[in-house]
Amino acid sequence: MVHAWQTTTLVCAAVFVAMTAACSKPKPVVAPEVGRTPQPAAAPVGAERPTEVAAEPDLTAAPLPAGGVATGELPRDLAELNRLGYLKDVFFDTDKSDLTAEARDILAANAAWLRQHPTVRILVEGHCDERHTAEYNLALGWRRANAVKNYLVSLGVDGGRIDTISYGEERPFALGHDESAWRLNRRAHFVIVGR
Amino acid sequence: MKTRALVAAATALAISAAPSWGQEEVYLQVTNPGLTSVVIALPSPLTRPGGESAAARTFTDTLRADLEQTAVIRLLEPERERLVEVDPAQPALTRQRWRSVGAQFLLDSTVATAGAQLVADVRLWDLASGEIAYSRRLQAPTNLAATMAHTLANELVRLFTGRPGPFLSRLAFISDRSGAKELWVMRWDGSEAQQLTSYRSIAMGPAWSPDGQWLAFTSFLRGAPQLFLLRPTEGYLKPLSTLPGVNSSPSFSPDGRRVAFAAGGDGNTDIYVAEVESGALVRLTSSRAIETQPAWSPNGRQIAFTSTASGRPQIHLMDAEGTNARQLTFADTFADEAAWAPDGVRLAYTTMVDGRFQIAVLDMRTGTRTVISGPGSNESPCWSPDGTMLAFVSNRTGSKQIFITDAAGQPRQLTREGNNTAPSWVAQLQ
Repeated sequence: MVHAWQTTTLVCAAVFVAMTAACSKPKPVVAPEVGRTPQPAAAPVGAERPTEVAAEPDLTAAPLPAGGVATGELPRDLAELNRLGYLKDVFFDTDKSDLTAEARDILAANAAWLRQHPTVRILVEGHCDERHTAEYNLALGWRRANAVKNYLVSLGVDGGRIDTISYGEERPFALGHDESAWRLNRRAHFVIVGR
Repeated sequence: MKTRALVAAATALAISAAPSWGQEEVYLQVTNPGLTSVVIALPSPLTRPGGESAAARTFTDTLRADLEQTAVIRLLEPERERLVEVDPAQPALTRQRWRSVGAQFLLDSTVATAGAQLVADVRLWDLASGEIAYSRRLQAPTNLAATMAHTLANELVRLFTGRPGPFLSRLAFISDRSGAKELWVMRWDGSEAQQLTSYRSIAMGPAWSPDGQWLAFTSFLRGAPQLFLLRPTEGYLKPLSTLPGVNSSPSFSPDGRRVAFAAGGDGNTDIYVAEVESGALVRLTSSRAIETQPAWSPNGRQIAFTSTASGRPQIHLMDAEGTNARQLTFADTFADEAAWAPDGVRLAYTTMVDGRFQIAVLDMRTGTRTVISGPGSNESPCWSPDGTMLAFVSNRTGSKQIFITDAAGQPRQLTREGNNTAPSWVAQLQ
């Protein structure tokens, strides 16, 4: 199932690159063996963390700039918007914050979408598996989140639209204690916090 | 209610901190070189007429329970105690009788309850010399009878080892038993666990100030992980570092005036120091590697920390000003969470053996590295204030729980409910 889901992600990412409009309403993909569905994980996770999202005042009222593409078609409700999974999470190798080739592809698609929706503000969460100590993982998650932010900026996304936070190993997506869970927890997770 | 109980305990400590006028000799070392424990007879205290009370019983029972948990003191077995015929008219002869059944010391006490006060007069007789080794009057409100007993037990241990016992010490830790990761505190034996925060957020990595007044810890209370100072006895909370990004892993300087911690605004964590009073910040490291988990040495001159400068997390050491940094651990594939013993010689840390965390202890004088392997994964070492015991986190029971190695070196589980991590041990609250 994990493989199937990863393949789906890749396919979806590829579609993103090729034809963003076609991917504007992707079907939710379910990975039932995982405690917190990895994709579109944004919705349940975001819904569980109202404080962080709510902490951004008035962002939903941000006026559309002239020529702003398609933002008006996005759902007004942020939880609903996150549930649609426009922005894909990226995954990391053990103890690494380097971006894999696969991660770069996904981020290229995310960057394209963000450039087309210039009012959207995002939070990139850095997450880790449990195989290092809690405080080391907080530092590692911070590096992961910022590696993603820096890459998006290098692809032309305004860094002022991107906030980063590390959750270390504190909020795992999968609750198991083996590689099948760990690989899902070594990630940068995208949350749209303003549109 | 919880806060009030802590305040009461702190008040009692102030009372019992009155100077002891007992001899300061370290009996075990001075009179019995080579001995590892002494046998003390602890007969029921004499009670003044009308002095019987629940508080007096609490005092006696607590004292006995504490002393039974020490390695340095063995209490005379009840069956031997029963052989002694106590003759109040002939105290010297009675002391000879105690000696003849195997006791080396006799703890003679008189307990009186006067109104809301409990008063204990205590004498420790050295039965070999016939002299009084220690004498003390203790007084406290009756509701603090147990604290009074812990204070006496601490002093008796110090008499024989030169270091106070652990009986007033507490561990701060993180527990998710209430549904979120909150800050908790408990007595060293796992009793009296109290929840200190109810933020329903994530709390991490508490560290005591050496005097037990403050707890520094990380909280996601305001979204991003920031560093806070909490006065557990008052519930007073103030921010210490709110740098963008990460603020974590606090460690107090021995004088309690500064806190070393890890922070990283630019996408990478480095070691910083914050002045507790002014909040002024100094950055100590600025490498491209992850630097975290600073641990201030007991003499204040050095800071051990984790760095990935060599590729993998290893313990490094630098002067407290940030100069003279060098790698300390080389024999491990992974080394993190350095913890200094109070002697400033031994450094405990988390290493990895066969894919599992284990505690290692490095002797800084000899360079000898000892891995203390236990079942499961074992991490987050923390020394008892007297340096004789280690607290750590183990998942050997299936969830993360706090254990200590007791004075005999045996692991002892302190927590059972939820997951419990990140122990920090302090001699007593202030």
